[in-house]
Amino acid sequence: MNYYKLVFLICFTISSHLFSQLTGNSTLSVNLPVVTLMDIEPTGAISMNFTAPTEAGMAIVAPAINTTKWINYTSAIASGGATRKITASINPVISGVDIKIQAASASGAGGGTLGTSSSEVILNATSQTIISGIGGAFTGNGVNNGHRLTISLSANTYANLSRTNTAVVIVYTITE
Amino acid sequence: MKAYDITFNRRYLFKISFVFFLMLYSILKAQRTLTVAGGNWPVPMPSVTEAGSNYSGTYESIDGQVLLTASVPALLGSGKVSVHYEPNPTWNPNLTLSVKRTGDGTTLCVLCTITGGTTYQAVTLTDLELFRITAVLALGSYSSIPIKLQLTGVSVTIPAATYNGKLVFTIGPT
Repeated sequence: MNYYKLVFLICFTISSHLFSQLTGNSTLSVNLPVVTLMDIEPTGAISMNFTAPTEAGMAIVAPAINTTKWINYTSAIASGGATRKITASINPVISGVDIKIQAASASGAGGGTLGTSSSEVILNATSQTIISGIGGAFTGNGVNNGHRLTISLSANTYANLSRTNTAVVIVYTITE
Repeated sequence: MKAYDITFNRRYLFKISFVFFLMLYSILKAQRTLTVAGGNWPVPMPSVTEAGSNYSGTYESIDGQVLLTASVPALLGSGKVSVHYEPNPTWNPNLTLSVKRTGDGTTLCVLCTITGGTTYQAVTLTDLELFRITAVLALGSYSSIPIKLQLTGVSVTIPAATYNGKLVFTIGPT
């Protein structure tokens, strides 16, 4: 085979590769945004009333512990982003009364990096962490999903108690 | 005179072989083609509006999001269309892409057949067969073969970001 035939053969081989389109492609894109959602289920106020003693010399009787409320949340964070926490505070603070709250471990239909519950905290006007370490996660929606809340009342300094019928708002905040 | 004949026959044989090789190579390489039409599929992602909820997780494109035109030579008889995905440049392995063929497209070839790929199959990083085209006598060419895409595994547990992928379709011998 002379030089020209060899060049011809190589050119032909290359052109066969170039002009025979054997692959093609199509693209797609998915945008997953940062998500931060939280609510309390079920909605509505709860009523917790102290009752007067029926025997002289006895203390007032604290209301039954309330476990009807659940915290639901959905959290999507960027890779390497800070985890979220949920804090709680009350307004107003009732003198002589401790309002305590504790979130249970997450249960129900959720998934992902769910938060870790703190031990029981006595609520005041300053936000305190009740759940921390929330990553990309969802708890499931509604009661029996997420973190069950245990809310209890007790008298602290008896001398500070006075008769009142005060609505107290518990403020929950999800934040980084 | 005898020596001249031997030399002539050798040169003649070489030329015949050379031409035959070119014909065979062109058949093998040049007559199997694939073109892909259809632009980017921006997966519509409804916002999560209820605390505690997740994304629905499964999203489908329209029918014919991707249109393939494929041809195989009559002489060779058949061709296999495969597909794989590539990060472009970032993809999350928890997002699963699937494809299926929702129609045969159009062809002028009466005896040609197109088979397979009518149910969703997950696309991986390596080529998997999607469907086959078989030609009998004429050039087996199908145009506008509709391909539908499906994305599953979408969740808030996947880091928030924009992910881009590329589906690579390849036609080759069966």
